[in-house]
Amino acid sequence: MKLLYKTTRDYLIASVSILIFTGVALFMILQKAIGDEMNEQLELQADEIFANARAGNFMDAPLIRIVKVAPETPTGIVFGDSLLYDRIQNEYEEYHYIRETQKIGQDRYQAIVMTSHIGWDQYYLTIFYIFLLTAFLLTGSGVLINYFSNKKIWTPFFKNLKNVQNFSVSSPAELQLYESSINEFKELNYTLEDLTKRSRREYLALREFTENASHEIQTPLSIIQSKLDRMSQLEMSEQMAGYIVQAKSGVDRLAKMNKSLLLLAKLDNNIFVDKQQVALHEILEFQIRNMEDLFDSKKIILNEDIGTSSAFSDKYLADTLISNLLSNALRYTPVEGEVKITLTQQTLSISNTGSAPDFPTEQIFQRFTKSQLHVTSTGLGLAISKEICLMNSWDLTYQFEYGWHSFLVKFSS
Amino acid sequence: MKLLLVEDEPLLLDEMDSYLTEQGYRCEKASNFYEAQEKLHLYQYDIIVLDITLPGGSGLALLETLKTENKNPGVLIVSAKNSLHDKVSGLELGADDYITKPFHMEELNARIFALLRRRSFDGENEITVDDLVINMASKTVCFKDEPVGLTKKEYELLLYFAINKNRVVSRQSIAEHLWGDHYDVADNYDTVYVHINTLRKKLAAYTPNDYIKTVHGMGYKWKYE
Repeated sequence: MKLLYKTTRDYLIASVSILIFTGVALFMILQKAIGDEMNEQLELQADEIFANARAGNFMDAPLIRIVKVAPETPTGIVFGDSLLYDRIQNEYEEYHYIRETQKIGQDRYQAIVMTSHIGWDQYYLTIFYIFLLTAFLLTGSGVLINYFSNKKIWTPFFKNLKNVQNFSVSSPAELQLYESSINEFKELNYTLEDLTKRSRREYLALREFTENASHEIQTPLSIIQSKLDRMSQLEMSEQMAGYIVQAKSGVDRLAKMNKSLLLLAKLDNNIFVDKQQVALHEILEFQIRNMEDLFDSKKIILNEDIGTSSAFSDKYLADTLISNLLSNALRYTPVEGEVKITLTQQTLSISNTGSAPDFPTEQIFQRFTKSQLHVTSTGLGLAISKEICLMNSWDLTYQFEYGWHSFLVKFSS
Repeated sequence: MKLLLVEDEPLLLDEMDSYLTEQGYRCEKASNFYEAQEKLHLYQYDIIVLDITLPGGSGLALLETLKTENKNPGVLIVSAKNSLHDKVSGLELGADDYITKPFHMEELNARIFALLRRRSFDGENEITVDDLVINMASKTVCFKDEPVGLTKKEYELLLYFAINKNRVVSRQSIAEHLWGDHYDVADNYDTVYVHINTLRKKLAAYTPNDYIKTVHGMGYKWKYE
């Protein structure tokens, strides 16, 4: 629930309950005060009637009656309510009465004085309506004030929230925060600025670390590789040779992995800024010709439909993207499988036959995702391809359908 | 041919030195910026194999020194950084080629060989092995003046062996040389095997000598005294 709704709702509930409570209280207090006043008035009237009666003046007036009652009737005052028919308004109305019994001489007389309730139910309704209106106006204005002032107060917060959502430690853009006059928000801004600066600093250090570490690994790898090559030149047993071959394949994988990590670190570091128009069909043709015998040796049928296409990219990256996709097709196409390569002005599609992937397809562009069938692959080739496409604002998608794995690159126009 | 090897890692420097000496080059070594600067100032070299990151200064600065001294040896940059920026500025400063660590000695040797050939105007265009003549200008191979029909890759393979003669050349090294290191080499050893076999068969049609020896599944060796 939005904060604004929540506070408004709480305010609404609170104000309505307070108004109901005060309304009821007001009604009850008024009822009591007016009731007391009526009783006093009736008592006074009854008293006067008895005073007149003692003087021998038994008068009967509308709503006033004095009658002689049985001698055993107890003396005292009783208040009560009764309904009387109103001829003019043609309805029953509630009347309040006093019934007082007193002794006059030896006889007992009972006086009944009535007075109308002056439309209690009318008062009740009027009070109810007034309070309803008040409640409506109060809550309405409260909600509006709350809404607009809160909106104004919270605007910088929401703008900042949006900026923080869009903020990425990997992008060079600084986090822009809107000033606010509210202390709490100022504090939040200060904390956010500090936090983003710190994360960016740590991110950059980490990125640099990856690149530096990869560089530092290259030289020792060179030493191991060259010494293994040197050992290969010596006379040795078959067994020894086997060990050297195994060691070499390990070094090879490491070198390959390291090279890919280095490239990823560089892509992350945005080092490739030398974009130019690149003739993709030339790169594609060259690479297909270069790899032809690799496809041949697996008896893979190559279907090419290569139109001309040029796109805006770093040349090295375009090269890497195409060779990654091609070598991916080469690796995952089974013997005697089929590969389709289509290049148009706007798209490059490379598809190959093969069994369904043994991992969730949405993970295909994640780093270190690889098929169980090819444990020696680095699992970085497609991650690199995706990064290259992101960098060029191209769209790279993967689909597996009817036994075909398809990679589609859409170049941005 | 006189080479200067500039590399700060002694183990690697020794390895380059011993292999290139075996291949008949006269090698001198420098392991830091100042040593290299001094040698470049004092002597003439045909080729400099130059590491970019050196104690005492950048290899790129040495290229500038060469320029100001009007010396023009062939320069092959060796770098741990597969950095396009270094490559571009290196080539702009007059370097001829660029190789990234880790590399195979045979590849380094092949690059030096190609560089030397490009730089000499009256350069040897042919390598002769018995009656087999590899013509590098026309990229053809003849046996006793009779052309041997080789594909482009087979030609490259033969040349790679001929340049790195009497050396066990690993399958990795061959695969990388033929197809570049874009591809996962481990997947392509069978293809190397197939190419070697075809090349052997084609050569066997002309000569009884089996030049290409298989060595314990480690690689292949072009044996020729």
